[in-house]
Amino acid sequence: MPSKYSLLKESWNMILMYALALIMIFVLTFHLLLVSPLTGKTFDQVLTYSYVLHNLTYYRIVFGLLLYAAVIHGLNGLRVVLIEWLHVKRFQWIINMIIVMLMAFLLALGTYTLIAI
Amino acid sequence: MKVRIRRFDGQKAWWQDYEVDAKPSDTVLDILNRIREKHDHTLAFRQSCQMGSCGSCGMVINGLPALACQTRISELKTESIRLEPLYNYKVIKDLVVDLTDFVNKHRSVKPWMIRKNPQELEEAPMEFKVTPDQNLTFVQFDYCIMCGLCLAACPTVAIDPLFLGPQALAQAYRYIADPRDEGFEERIEILDDSHGVWRCHFAGACSYVCPKGVDPAKAIQYLKKEVLKYRLLHKKKASVKPAELIQKPPPANAPKPPPFDFKIEGGE
Amino acid sequence: MEKEKEEKRYKSGLLRSLRPYKFNLERYTYTLHRITGVILILYLIAHVFEIYHLALGPVAWQQTMALLSSLGIWEKIGLWIIAGSALYHGANGLRLILNEAFGMLLGKPVLPEYPYTPTSLSRNQKIAIYTIVVIVVALWIWAGIYLLWGLGII
Repeated sequence: MPSKYSLLKESWNMILMYALALIMIFVLTFHLLLVSPLTGKTFDQVLTYSYVLHNLTYYRIVFGLLLYAAVIHGLNGLRVVLIEWLHVKRFQWIINMIIVMLMAFLLALGTYTLIAI
Repeated sequence: MKVRIRRFDGQKAWWQDYEVDAKPSDTVLDILNRIREKHDHTLAFRQSCQMGSCGSCGMVINGLPALACQTRISELKTESIRLEPLYNYKVIKDLVVDLTDFVNKHRSVKPWMIRKNPQELEEAPMEFKVTPDQNLTFVQFDYCIMCGLCLAACPTVAIDPLFLGPQALAQAYRYIADPRDEGFEERIEILDDSHGVWRCHFAGACSYVCPKGVDPAKAIQYLKKEVLKYRLLHKKKASVKPAELIQKPPPANAPKPPPFDFKIEGGE
Repeated sequence: MEKEKEEKRYKSGLLRSLRPYKFNLERYTYTLHRITGVILILYLIAHVFEIYHLALGPVAWQQTMALLSSLGIWEKIGLWIIAGSALYHGANGLRLILNEAFGMLLGKPVLPEYPYTPTSLSRNQKIAIYTIVVIVVALWIWAGIYLLWGLGII
């Protein structure tokens, strides 16, 4: 496989970061608007069980998109911070593995939540 | 003028104060020379040209990396001067730092012209052609004097010594932008690494401290754009084909120019 | 011991990389971007756990809410900081995408002339940063009023 198509290159990582960031700008704005003063409720009222459940079930796909975008973008960013900070080639595999495991766990938890409600 | 210098003799580090006579027109390098002549012969620092073109006298002056020969005391506007060796380098003695890693990083991005057919250079009947417009796309990054100030200012180099650094990346872009160069793919494989171009997060401090206006931050952002274009669209930075590159000699049957007339009008 | 000290790079490290004092405005934005990013990922991990309690039924949700409100005003202050982090990280991230992926706001390569003002840090970049600061501060104050209004202070 020519290295041009290699998905292990760092640039694919950054392309993913940029793409997810652009998605999140819209989706996260939408999420914040649902808990904003524009809803006409006080902050304690937007955290009630019925309101949150209604939002999550009604906009299930949007929140699923947000979950995947935020977890992948965020943990990838954390990985970048860690490989810069620890900067030993030997540690990179360990950092990558920890990040992938954490990512899988959070995505599984979030997906289960979105399906179970 | 009170001067505070961070000393290091290979064993221990300490701060030493000097009281030096100074005129407002003196540069920091003049002050250092005066200290070595009159006060302390053991002070070590690098210097060569004293006019900002060799890049030897880089040091941290009042917390900001700068060339000592280009910083006047009147510009600093402070009562005392604090001098330190460049940040993020290993110190050899006093203000002299170890530039080995820096030079190795520069070498690792292949800062020379790569042609796929090296014979071209030897068989070329005339020189390789670069138009003034093409020249302007890379000549700014060619002004680098390798003083190493940008690596002292870079926040990523501060935590990641494996990061190639602004200087090497700017030089890589200088050769990628050059239409005569064909080493684009070769260099991209080196730059697109986990400690390569993507560890730059555009803090811009390299451009801020650069004494020659090279603007490494700009070069690195353009380099990122080229890498993305290559990965997503498989577009390479256009390099010139040998036929376009070399100015053709005039054909044999071309009319010869008239011989030069040495006669001066109005003369004898 | 003495040998090790010699091998260490002078004044490098995490704190030094996050310390923009004496440097340019862009380096301040770098520091803030990194700190807000770490705040947001730590919050996200907690947030996924928090929302998971929704799937366990209303009682579990009430217990989680009660646990959070036991923090008192610190809950609201924490959320306010997280809201500010999200606003800043998003706005500054958009500027960085324009810079890095599209090569905008940088200026063309020029012949360097004294006093060597770098075009990548000049007018366009400054305008972008100040716009971000104004928008983020305005929205952040709005979010603060809303959060504290719910608390009954304002």
